[in-house]
Amino acid sequence: MVEERRILYEHLDVPDINTFDVFRQYDGYTRFEKAIAEYQPEEIAQMVLDSGLKGRGGAGFSTGEKWSFVPRDIEPRYLCCNADESEPGTFSNRYVLEKNPHLLIEGILICCYAMGIETTYVYIRGEFTLGKKMLDAAIKEAYEKGYLGKDVRGTGLNIDIYTHPGAGAYICGEETGLIESLEGKRGQPRNKPPFPAVQGVFMKPTVVQNVETLCNLPFIVGNGVEWYTEMGPTYADTRFDPPKPDANTGTKLYCISGDVNEPGVYELDLGLTCTELIEVAGGLRGEEVKAVIPGGSSAPILTHYELDTRLDFTSLTLAKSMLGSGGIIVMNETRNIVDCLLNIMKFYAHESCGQCTPCRWGTPWVRDIVQRIADGNGRKDTITRPKFGVAENGRWGDTGETEEIYEDLDLLESVANNIANVDTMTWNTICVFGIAVSWPAVSYMRKFRPEFEAAIREGKLVTLPVAEATVPPEENYAYQQRFIPKEFADL
Amino acid sequence: MSEELIQIETPFAFNEENQREFDELIGRYPIKEAAMLPTLHLAQRQAGYITPAVMKYVAELLEVTVMKVKDVVTFYPMFFEEPVGEYVIRVCHTLPCALRDCKVVLDHLKAKLDTDIASETNLAKGTTADGKFTLMKVECLASCDVAPVIMINDDLYKNLTAEKVDEILDNL
Repeated sequence: MVEERRILYEHLDVPDINTFDVFRQYDGYTRFEKAIAEYQPEEIAQMVLDSGLKGRGGAGFSTGEKWSFVPRDIEPRYLCCNADESEPGTFSNRYVLEKNPHLLIEGILICCYAMGIETTYVYIRGEFTLGKKMLDAAIKEAYEKGYLGKDVRGTGLNIDIYTHPGAGAYICGEETGLIESLEGKRGQPRNKPPFPAVQGVFMKPTVVQNVETLCNLPFIVGNGVEWYTEMGPTYADTRFDPPKPDANTGTKLYCISGDVNEPGVYELDLGLTCTELIEVAGGLRGEEVKAVIPGGSSAPILTHYELDTRLDFTSLTLAKSMLGSGGIIVMNETRNIVDCLLNIMKFYAHESCGQCTPCRWGTPWVRDIVQRIADGNGRKDTITRPKFGVAENGRWGDTGETEEIYEDLDLLESVANNIANVDTMTWNTICVFGIAVSWPAVSYMRKFRPEFEAAIREGKLVTLPVAEATVPPEENYAYQQRFIPKEFADL
Repeated sequence: MSEELIQIETPFAFNEENQREFDELIGRYPIKEAAMLPTLHLAQRQAGYITPAVMKYVAELLEVTVMKVKDVVTFYPMFFEEPVGEYVIRVCHTLPCALRDCKVVLDHLKAKLDTDIASETNLAKGTTADGKFTLMKVECLASCDVAPVIMINDDLYKNLTAEKVDEILDNL
């Protein structure tokens, strides 16, 4: 049984930890004081780079590397804290904001010191009224105690933090969408480059970090890089010579929901498997796992064959999925995958910002196709055509067999792949929302194809037993595509 | 937006308290336009919904065109352009809540309030005849561990069942 390792969430349930005095009793702000007393700003940035901390918001990009792109000679620079937590299945930031807001402020202070930033905007989603209230109160207290404002603790640093409420748009969680929204416009993502690190909010260099990423900083500074890197696996990327370490260090706030007995946030080292996580969350509610979504609704689904996949950034990328925001949704044998996909596609059709044509039109089309299949009106054709799959020579091609055409399934894949192609990982949209739509659409359909076919054939939703509903890994194109980490050996 | 439409509306201006809050928040940004979302939130709290007069007022405050304010208001689902009930009930219906039977909660609310579900372009459809409640579906409220959840105005209600919904509505 895997044990929880609470670091970010260690004092979460301490009564009144949201007040300055109680937070102070639990080493609050001492890490920031250590940072300004013992280290130069560049040294902090180097520590963050060495720690291997990866952004916890979704993309999993190295935080230290991101900071290194920020030009230090352009003033002013900004920090945007992304608290627009809207990915279905993710809810860890909410608890930090509502229960321990001072920890976030301390993280922001360290980031501001390291990057020479004076102004921070915390973009909180509009629905987090309690979280915003708690954070505002904590910020007010920090100003009173001299940890924010002019000349912080007599060091000559000027640091301001402002909260900025969103208004219910999912796309504002995308970093450039967030920046546009912060500037008072529609939250439509920008073309990149220029990246926010160079031209972000108000066209100035901007660091955009998730709440959880910033909350890691006090502990990296307080306990040192070595302590931090001992947690979680580090792989060796042998595509580089000498092998480049691929760090998955630290803990992750795994949010687990759906069919488990004790849904909630569990703080665990990166790198445990799906099976272990379900066990930690009180076990499965039901008989059998049918599917697991590993990283918020945008992530490609994992079947029961893939439950041994380790939940870290590298392993999930190799498994053709992603850790994303760490929102894990478990489904048991009673769930119908067509129905689940319909629910998710309704979400994306609603949340598309409407900027790029493939996404504005394609997303509702995908939804309509899935709706049609779920309603029992899915289109099928009775002619047969050569079946593509893994041929005798072990490569992808004509297998010599024939298969029935399910027109709507081909159409679904075609529309989804024209928003963003999941095989080549190229998207025809400005932001990665395109991938977030076609990844679930195509992966659900490929991995649970029998259930989609049954719905079309029978003219109604049919929930098949897990073994029948899932395409075995050896026949699964998406699965075949994943390259087993031969190139990634344990260091 | 025609001039006529603006004129027949009652003119809008911040009350003293909101004016104070606005003065405080406008100082946070290097450009005035950036205060758009917080200003609209304030205005909506005072006026109930974003009328053309509100848009005109906000546009003047932030020194942008009325069209630009309208542009923003139409983008974000939390801003209403039509009157809503005293209590706005937001029912989460995204996957984690769906796996925990949010449909039961939604159907129960529909029956109990005797109303349909509001759509973004037709809020009146989901508003009760007495104007007390507006029922709407929203996307993930980031509380999937305590699903199904609903939000009534600013408050979140967790782990709901039909009985709990009754209790909550009775205590409002």
